[in-house]
Amino acid sequence: MSSGTFAVLGLFSDAHKIVEAAQQIRPRQLGRLEAYTPYPVHGLDRAIGLAPSRLGRLVMLMGVIGAGLALLFEGWVSAVDYPLVTSGKPLFSWQAFVPVMFEVTVLFATFTAGLAMLFAFNKLPFFGHPVLHSKAIKSITRDKLALSIEATSATFDAETARQALLQNGAESVEIVPVPVWNRPLSLVGLLRTIAGIVAACAVAGAGLFALEKLIPIVPPMVHMHEQPKLNAFRVSSFFADGRGMRPAVTGTVARGHLPPAFATPEEAGTLLGNPLPLTQPIAERGRKVFNDHCAICHGLVGDGVPLLSHAYGGKPGNFLSNEIRARPDGHYFGVLMLGKNAMPSYAADLDNHDRWAAVHYIRILQRAQNAKDEDL
Amino acid sequence: MSPVSPRSSLVRNLLVALTLVGAAGTAGVYVSASRERFWVNWLVWTLFLLTLGLGNLFLVALERLVSAHWSVPMRRVPERIASLIPLAIVLLLIAFFGVPVIFPWTYPAVAHNPILVAKTAWLNLPFFAVRFAVCAVVWMLFYRFYVRGSLRQDENKDPAFTVRARRLAPAFMVVFFFSVTILAFDWISGLEPEWYSDMFGVYLFAGTFISGIAAMLLGVLSLMRRGRLPEVQTKHVYNLGSLGLAFTVFFAYIGFAQYMLIWYANLPDEVIWFKHRIEGAWQPVALLLPLLHFFIPFFLLIGSVGKKHPAPLRLAALSILLGHFVDLYWLIFPVLGPRPLFGWPELAMACFFLGLGSLQIRRAMGRGADMPVGDPLLAQGLEWQV
Repeated sequence: MSSGTFAVLGLFSDAHKIVEAAQQIRPRQLGRLEAYTPYPVHGLDRAIGLAPSRLGRLVMLMGVIGAGLALLFEGWVSAVDYPLVTSGKPLFSWQAFVPVMFEVTVLFATFTAGLAMLFAFNKLPFFGHPVLHSKAIKSITRDKLALSIEATSATFDAETARQALLQNGAESVEIVPVPVWNRPLSLVGLLRTIAGIVAACAVAGAGLFALEKLIPIVPPMVHMHEQPKLNAFRVSSFFADGRGMRPAVTGTVARGHLPPAFATPEEAGTLLGNPLPLTQPIAERGRKVFNDHCAICHGLVGDGVPLLSHAYGGKPGNFLSNEIRARPDGHYFGVLMLGKNAMPSYAADLDNHDRWAAVHYIRILQRAQNAKDEDL
Repeated sequence: MSPVSPRSSLVRNLLVALTLVGAAGTAGVYVSASRERFWVNWLVWTLFLLTLGLGNLFLVALERLVSAHWSVPMRRVPERIASLIPLAIVLLLIAFFGVPVIFPWTYPAVAHNPILVAKTAWLNLPFFAVRFAVCAVVWMLFYRFYVRGSLRQDENKDPAFTVRARRLAPAFMVVFFFSVTILAFDWISGLEPEWYSDMFGVYLFAGTFISGIAAMLLGVLSLMRRGRLPEVQTKHVYNLGSLGLAFTVFFAYIGFAQYMLIWYANLPDEVIWFKHRIEGAWQPVALLLPLLHFFIPFFLLIGSVGKKHPAPLRLAALSILLGHFVDLYWLIFPVLGPRPLFGWPELAMACFFLGLGSLQIRRAMGRGADMPVGDPLLAQGLEWQV
């Protein structure tokens, strides 16, 4: 008898009666009690033996975890991983973290509430509850309240359950059979799901396209792009001279680019000395600068034999010649800044450190090519 | 209403004694302590009583506005606590003697302060008095309308009053928000007239509302313990607890929002007000405020157990009321200096005002039936289910 029965369903139209019936039937332990009502009935949860929900505690726990994680994450980002002082505030400014902590708390709590309610406590995915296929379901969703005794044990007897419901005031009783389940992953089901996703994407895409392009009601997110602003290379009506880019104030010096205090290399030779100590790293830096910028004309050893063809036509200086060797360090620096003959200025291409390093390297080349006995 | 038991008269005598001792102490404060300290104490406690009364009048009007059923059986309690309003208005009238003492915009030196000169159109004594008079008249009119009308309904059972009370509630809401904002601007932030915060009115309203709920909870619980509200059940108190929970969060939200915006913008003339209140010796008081006003009541009331049993409800309500005092103390007392003052003058004046307020509420508690027996919604309110 019990094999084909899912539950026995008794219909009531009075909320008080269904609570009373549940209280009467529950001690008889005929099977698990469940109730289906179109609106919440006060006290029915306790009458059918539902324990207080554990959902609240779970939500609380996850909310606190969310707040803690947000605090840790923001603290780590702003004070540990990428410490950046913002408007003079301490790196770990808890005040600024609170809104995000609040949001993450709400996020964790609501997702926990929703997902735990659906999947953990209401046992989704659970398609097609047997009661949905009963004859009574129409009235349950309208004005009737149903108490069901589910066939949870082997000793379940549908007739006893039916009698119990009728004795306790059920207006009618229906026996709900165990349904024949469709396999959830059938080919048709899969195809329908895919078709549904494709259709949803198509509708959403077409809708967005229409709204943005055809009917300009919803503009795309360009607010930041459209704000009034100054473009350095555009005309601007903001300034009287109509230029977006502001000319530098007279006397402005770019950081790291102090203008030279000399007019000729000779003057530089009398004014300047090499401020860099001659160390291994500086010498190596000098070699790199020399090989990258100077050797192409002056040759790898500074002998004035260019790496490029002579067709170029210039006549680069020979650093090994006595005339050039005799010049002071400042003179080399001055030539690098101002240029000489066909050689252009390297004021814009190198910085002072690299220039002085190159001068050191030239001195090393000169000494190497004119080595004396004591150098060996 | 209730028969006068020996215990009841003992409590009354104790309260009278407390008030008299407090009154003597208050006179002593006036004679011996500085005038500023006296009037600042006076202001804190007057505003404490006034906001409790206004919060409860707001609860009454809110119930009328939304035609709530569940709170009807308990409505006599907020109606009675609202009787603090006339008392506090008298006390605030007396505080006018202190206005030239504690409000810097009344000092002659204002003429040399360009910020205050620019504000004289608002901050001048005649307009200040007019604003207060308008607010006081409005509060008294609504107080009489709601409380007297409800008592009269007990006898004549006239359902038309319920309709009239609902029709007038929206007007009350509008006037109430304006008047509480004026109260906050004039009597609290006016103590430091260079400072202003747009949110300050809402902040005081949030404190008023939540402490009103707390006072109502205490009143309902104490009447229930004396068996004077036999038909009020756990479900009614549960709902009141839920309202309390919601508005502790509201208070914390408003309080933090005001603090965070000013902290973030870091404008010197705004942030100085908070700097005086959260740094140095005031820091413990500033930390006490969220603890009493938010964390303790929030965690007491968040579970369903806390809203069903008198002990956690009473504890949460007491925490909120203490927090409300700490809030007013923290808002007002820093004008006296960088160290929180709390000594015998504060205790004496606390005794006086708390005794006075308790006597006033006790007197009102004996007035009329303990439930609004003439209200047509009472039956629905008693049957109402969560």
